[in-house]
Amino acid sequence: MSWQMARLGLVYACLCAGSVVLPAQEFKLLDRTVQMHGFASQGFVYTNDNNWLTMNTSQGSAAFTDFGINASSQLTDKFRVGAQGYDRSLGRLGQYHPSLDWAFADYRFKNWFGVRGGKVKTTLGLYNDTQDLDFLHTFALLPQSVYPADLRDATIAHLGGDVYGNIPLKHRFGDLSYMAYAGHRSDSLYSGYPYLLSQYGVQFKSLGGLQYGADLRWNTPVKGLFIGASRLDQDTTGKGADVNPLSPTGGIIPYFEYSRADWTNQFYGQYARSKLRIASEYRRYLRDQIIYDNTSENLTDVRGWYLSGAYRVIKRLELGSYYSRYTIVNFYKGALAAIAPNETDTSLPADHIYDKVITARVDLTGFWNVKLEGHFMNGYAASTYPDGFYPQVNPQGFKPNTNALVLKTSVNF
Amino acid sequence: MKSLTALLVVASLATVPAKALVSEVKVIANPTVKTTQISAGDLKRAFLLETNSLKDGTHVEPVLRRSGPAHEAFLRDFLDINDQALQTYYRTLVFTGRASMPRTLGSDAECVAYVAKTRGAIGYVGADTAAEGVKTLEVIPEGNKAERTLLSRVEPEYPQVLRPLRLTGVVRLSVTISQKGHVETIQVLGGNPFLAESATAAVKQWVYTAGRSSVTTVVSISFDPDW
Repeated sequence: MSWQMARLGLVYACLCAGSVVLPAQEFKLLDRTVQMHGFASQGFVYTNDNNWLTMNTSQGSAAFTDFGINASSQLTDKFRVGAQGYDRSLGRLGQYHPSLDWAFADYRFKNWFGVRGGKVKTTLGLYNDTQDLDFLHTFALLPQSVYPADLRDATIAHLGGDVYGNIPLKHRFGDLSYMAYAGHRSDSLYSGYPYLLSQYGVQFKSLGGLQYGADLRWNTPVKGLFIGASRLDQDTTGKGADVNPLSPTGGIIPYFEYSRADWTNQFYGQYARSKLRIASEYRRYLRDQIIYDNTSENLTDVRGWYLSGAYRVIKRLELGSYYSRYTIVNFYKGALAAIAPNETDTSLPADHIYDKVITARVDLTGFWNVKLEGHFMNGYAASTYPDGFYPQVNPQGFKPNTNALVLKTSVNF
Repeated sequence: MKSLTALLVVASLATVPAKALVSEVKVIANPTVKTTQISAGDLKRAFLLETNSLKDGTHVEPVLRRSGPAHEAFLRDFLDINDQALQTYYRTLVFTGRASMPRTLGSDAECVAYVAKTRGAIGYVGADTAAEGVKTLEVIPEGNKAERTLLSRVEPEYPQVLRPLRLTGVVRLSVTISQKGHVETIQVLGGNPFLAESATAAVKQWVYTAGRSSVTTVVSISFDPDW
């Protein structure tokens, strides 16, 4: 743990220095103004039981780092372009393999109609497209029932196009914002799902597929209140190699899986007034995946919701809390059903995670914050779908309760 | 005296909806911004980057003050958001690629200078700040149709009884316009009674565009026997 603490201290020192010397950058290129912005965050997690999020948290882990940098330019009144690079390390995930986070051209014909093309962040619920941006949020970890950090890649962006707009409603009914998109999702091979399946010997070479959906948000006439709904449909395919699960001594065989159904419905609302902000979301994710080369089928039904509140006590201090509830059921058909029983009792710790969280966020400057957060979790929901607790880093087995202390700091410019 | 006071109060109340929002700041714009009035809703949408053009098609670019009383008053009176939440909102847009960070300036003088030289720029400064080279926009409360367009105007006749006197003058009327755009009631706020009678007869025939509800506005009519 000492080297981790030293690393944390080093990153912390860099962040402190960075916050002092890094103003937002702006320069001229071909007579156009280009803005540059960036961010970085560093976390430390300690748990009393169960290693969490693929980190060795029971011994304290600082393997919780991410950063990004972007450049954008408004080329004409209606046309803008930009791109952002992103990298992270979260325990065994990410492993500092940089990715193009977003890169697109955007043309806004009218306020009620615009188009974007390229790699675009996927709008899903309140925070999907901003889940990496720690400095925007009160909490060090967003509610994992709706925004699982280990499954970021599954929903974060698509290579394709969006149409979007904002429509004021008559008779003081507020306004509607809409977004519809279609494209291709491409998961990092260092994300949660490939890592989870690596325990069975599956080594992915590619994972991704079609992603399309829409989001509709109503900014209501009630000041500070908006509500919305998102729908996401996906058709993913995974290819790689595998140790034959039905005959482990039979050697390596090609691995192939694909979707029969894969959709998410998410409903959300937020009320913000003065120093208070209350938010809530419900997500249902259903995935029916044909796995192991057409020999088996795995139907996963995930339901999650949370209720959060945050209050800015003084200019530099915000306190927050949320309750997050996650349940998962799994059904197996085909060859796998012989060795994997269905998991349908969500009252069992193996099929749920209930998380009570309290947070204090201190804004040391306008661009640098520190968060201290406590998680009190019941359940670990270890299954054939990732949800934070992985057998590979918990070889001793799972305990039903986990308390976690999260310390995180981030800067942006 | 009491009745006179009451009359003044009634008159001022009747005209309140037609007035611009009163604030410790004034909203300024580059001369390329065509309008002289902006609704509170459009102003908010422009500063929240939900729109980059006004209804008349004019491109607009919001300019903010970094801090200070004018900044706080503007956020309170027009955006209904605190600075921390606004910065978080802008960063959300910037780091998802949906907008650039708006220009933020340190003083009223800088703000005036930038708005004066930048096409489509809209900013705000303290109410007492000299604003050379820019225009001051009147902010109309949301839902107030003071900007209702006059569709049909009947010119008042100069009263025959006053022609020998060749009297000039201005009549001020408080006019209530119905939802459908017809003139419902007229109250004389000031002017010669003969001129007021003629003005009232003409204005009663005026027709405005329809609105969501009836509104009251002030109409001033000038009289000159040579016109």
